[in-house]
Amino acid sequence: MDIMEFKTIKIGKNNNKLTDSIIKDLKTSKDIGVLKCIQCGMCTSVCPASRHSEYDSREISKRVLEEDESLIYDDIIWNCFYCYTCHSVCPVGNSVSEIIQVLRQKAIINEEFEQIVTFLAFGESLLELGIGSIPIEYYSELIEVIGNDYPEFKNKLDEIREELGLGSLNLPDEDVKDIGNILEKTGFKDRLEKIRAYKKSINSEQ
Amino acid sequence: MKKIPDKDILIFKSCLISGEYPGVESSTKYLFDKLGVEYVVEDRQSCCTGLGYYYDLFDQYSTTALAARNFAIAREIGHKNIATMCSTCYAILKKSCNILNENDKVRNKINQIFKDSKLDNLIYSPGDMDSEGNIFHVAEVLWSKKAEIKDLPMIDLSELKIATHHACHYFKVHYKEDSIGNKRNPLLLDDLANACGTETIGWYDHKKTTCGAGFRQRYANLDLSLSVTADKLMSLKENDVDTLLHMCPNCQMQFDRYQPVIEKNLNTKFNLAHLNIAQFLALAMGADPYKVVGIQTHTVSPDKVLEKIKQASPVAV
Repeated sequence: MDIMEFKTIKIGKNNNKLTDSIIKDLKTSKDIGVLKCIQCGMCTSVCPASRHSEYDSREISKRVLEEDESLIYDDIIWNCFYCYTCHSVCPVGNSVSEIIQVLRQKAIINEEFEQIVTFLAFGESLLELGIGSIPIEYYSELIEVIGNDYPEFKNKLDEIREELGLGSLNLPDEDVKDIGNILEKTGFKDRLEKIRAYKKSINSEQ
Repeated sequence: MKKIPDKDILIFKSCLISGEYPGVESSTKYLFDKLGVEYVVEDRQSCCTGLGYYYDLFDQYSTTALAARNFAIAREIGHKNIATMCSTCYAILKKSCNILNENDKVRNKINQIFKDSKLDNLIYSPGDMDSEGNIFHVAEVLWSKKAEIKDLPMIDLSELKIATHHACHYFKVHYKEDSIGNKRNPLLLDDLANACGTETIGWYDHKKTTCGAGFRQRYANLDLSLSVTADKLMSLKENDVDTLLHMCPNCQMQFDRYQPVIEKNLNTKFNLAHLNIAQFLALAMGADPYKVVGIQTHTVSPDKVLEKIKQASPVAV
């Protein structure tokens, strides 16, 4: 005789893979209230991305609770501003802002580099100089938008810093080397290498 | 109320202040000197990774490892009270500090990396730093010196119409912990403006709205980014504000660099200048606009403030 399948809670069986992984992620607050979401919509009501685009914070939280893993590959997650306004008003301590951070990391771990490839230069600058930089891909756009005063001032930056009595912009070589060593062992250099390879592959396709 | 130190302070360098508004750093040093706050700036300190972190390029583990390195340097030079000029540095360092204190697995992994790299001097033990007791924003240090600021000779800037923009990563990220003031209507910067004899407009629509930079959005999604900035600018225009006070270089960059673009897009004028709170206080105390405050790196010139300074008789020092 067939054993009947009852729809009951299966103790010990994990039905909350996505929510669990978000709650346990290092990027989220240790007491994040993902499972406490009551769909009140406070997050959406204060969210700049929800005000100006198709993005909807409450919907993100709902889809996470529904274990909808397709979110990871949904372009909509890339609209969040990381302003933490949702995070700061949630009545149950949930944080869509932090949820989005984890979802985007999952996309990157699955080698979805399309959305971050243009930010590669920040990582390269940090490895080279120990400080971050404006993404070089957008520099000409910045000049176009802001005007020629911008590159002019950038060219004079060292001079201005000296006038203001400030020290060198870059770190000593020895320290840059240390930072490189650390970031190699944390796996960051590997990640950058993969993104670089991806960049090469899309450039050669064009 | 948390105890805010006035010595053994490391002014934590920020990549956007270094490269966009270096006058914020020189203004901070000017104020600390005037107020008797003891500090150092350290060459070996690296970027907090914050922009990269919020471009989603950096994982938490790498960011925390570099924070541990910066914490070790601060301790080594006897200046473990960190004061950040950028609100993202503030949020990132506090988060990393909490992870290093509470998460044995991550701390041990990071310490192993230091050992394997022969960087044993960087090893972190729980409690080496305290998120609440050792990590501050420069504005908080200034806030703790309000009484002293009130006693200093000051140029009269009371005719300006001033509003404040409290950075999201200062008052929204660690809101449960220790950011100073009312979270629904943050007043940290308003209090500081009051300390030098100027009123602010206080509350306005969109006071709590983000600057709109949105990290990736300013670059990858410029229209979306600027529509949020425009919300705030329109509200400031309705209130005839001429000076907006900031506490984060990323916000300042969003408003100062892109305001002319939004003016063009919306066919309007805002007549609004942007100053970091340290720049504003330094100007009020008579600091040189170019040699100390560094306004030559701004896109929108703070003409109204400069006019007032010009009119004022020289401050007695």
